[in-house]
Amino acid sequence: MSTLETLQDILVRDYGLPRDRLSPDAALDTLGMDSLSLLELMFKIEDGFHVKIPGEPPSDLRTVQNVVEYIDGLIANRSAKVPAGLAASEVKM
Amino acid sequence: MTLRRVAVTGLGVASPIGCSIEEVALSLAEGRSGVCRLSSSLRDRLRSPIGAPTAFDGAANFDPARIRQLDRVTQLALTAAGQALADARLDLSAEERERCGTFVGTGMGGAETTDAGYRTIYADASDRVNPYTVLAAMTTAPASWISIEHGLLGPSLTFSTACSSSSVAIGEAARRIQWGDLDVMIAGGSEAPLTFGVLRAWEAMRTLATEDPENPGASCRPFSLNRSGLVLGEGAAFVVLEEWQHAVERGAPIHAELSGYGLTSDASHITRPSVQGQARAMQAALASAGLSREKIGYINAHGSATPQNDATETSAIKQVFGERAYAIPVSSTKSIHGHLLGAAGALEFVIAVICLERRMASPTMHLDTPDPACDLDYVAGAARHGVDLEAVMSNSFAFGGTNAVLIAVSPDRGISRTP
Repeated sequence: MSTLETLQDILVRDYGLPRDRLSPDAALDTLGMDSLSLLELMFKIEDGFHVKIPGEPPSDLRTVQNVVEYIDGLIANRSAKVPAGLAASEVKM
Repeated sequence: MTLRRVAVTGLGVASPIGCSIEEVALSLAEGRSGVCRLSSSLRDRLRSPIGAPTAFDGAANFDPARIRQLDRVTQLALTAAGQALADARLDLSAEERERCGTFVGTGMGGAETTDAGYRTIYADASDRVNPYTVLAAMTTAPASWISIEHGLLGPSLTFSTACSSSSVAIGEAARRIQWGDLDVMIAGGSEAPLTFGVLRAWEAMRTLATEDPENPGASCRPFSLNRSGLVLGEGAAFVVLEEWQHAVERGAPIHAELSGYGLTSDASHITRPSVQGQARAMQAALASAGLSREKIGYINAHGSATPQNDATETSAIKQVFGERAYAIPVSSTKSIHGHLLGAAGALEFVIAVICLERRMASPTMHLDTPDPACDLDYVAGAARHGVDLEAVMSNSFAFGGTNAVLIAVSPDRGISRTP
């Protein structure tokens, strides 16, 4: 399953969002995802994608696609076995 | 200064004995208990594994995006408040919304959220604290969400005086209308304390009833010789209060007039109740209602079923009503709905209004052998119907010593108040 599909599953299951509104270009704020929802989503991303989010998540996640790319970055870092400290500095903006 | 009159125009409940006024009235008439053995996840480490849960499924009532922000205490509050506002058939203009306030009583606020947060931090040794923890757990959340949901622009206040919290909220709301500050109030209380941490803390204080092994539903026995304590319950109850003319002019259904409110402090002991403190609160309520004590036809007692309260309250009622105390039906409906702490006063005031409207005295269930120190007419075992009621009283007495008493008068009896 693609990153997008897994993310969509999480948003449908835990946030009650209709799948047809979860296109890549959908804006998170129009989906009712406020800043606290995004913080909560990070826990679900860690579980759903078996990744560790280093430090604070970036503050410029605006669309579903932004989140997909962020997750893909985390997965790539995990695969590359980048030390946690380095990964943190890379994703922190 | 002439005080304005206060009409009760809406009632709403989400309680262990029903989630509608009709259901609650039926449970009272039948003496049906909402006390039961708790689910297994809670009862394993409890000596007294009983409680009075409300048959309310939050997930069925709120969408997932919303429910993540709402502790159960707020879910129950929104449900009961919505019911009360619908019952009042209110359609407020923008201007009227500015003169409409939200007063809520709660003892513990979002107890489930607090419990879950501590479990995450201490039991799971995890740093993943839910980002909504503060917003869901804060005691002001129920009042805030009611005002947000219904666009009520007047003051939104939370009262926390332990077991009298919601009687205080209703009484203070009535005063705002009497004084002319506001015209419409949604007032009541909510509590959701059935978590392991809360139950264990109450158990540690040795205040909880021991389970009746044959009939867990009969474990709470107010005024009984063998009473062993209170049973914790969850739920919410709300009333809509309205300036009398405002209600009459829009043709609102008027359930009762809220005419009396008495508030005192024991100023003596943190748990032990005081006859004087309770009696002064009842007297203050009668005085504020401008009613003679002869008019009170039913008292919904605090009746917590603790050894201390019931005998003390009985003495206080005798002190206020004299010989007539023996002729007044007095009941503790906590025998079937348990102790809702911050929501108790609101639920019991709503029950007193139900009794007033239906000419009924609610029963004290599970009272076979009264304590000799409790010698009033407690309406033991079965509801009494066809009772001629002009005015009813609801008592709420709290740990900490805040005593609140409310009086409701039948709207069609036209009892004139002496200013």
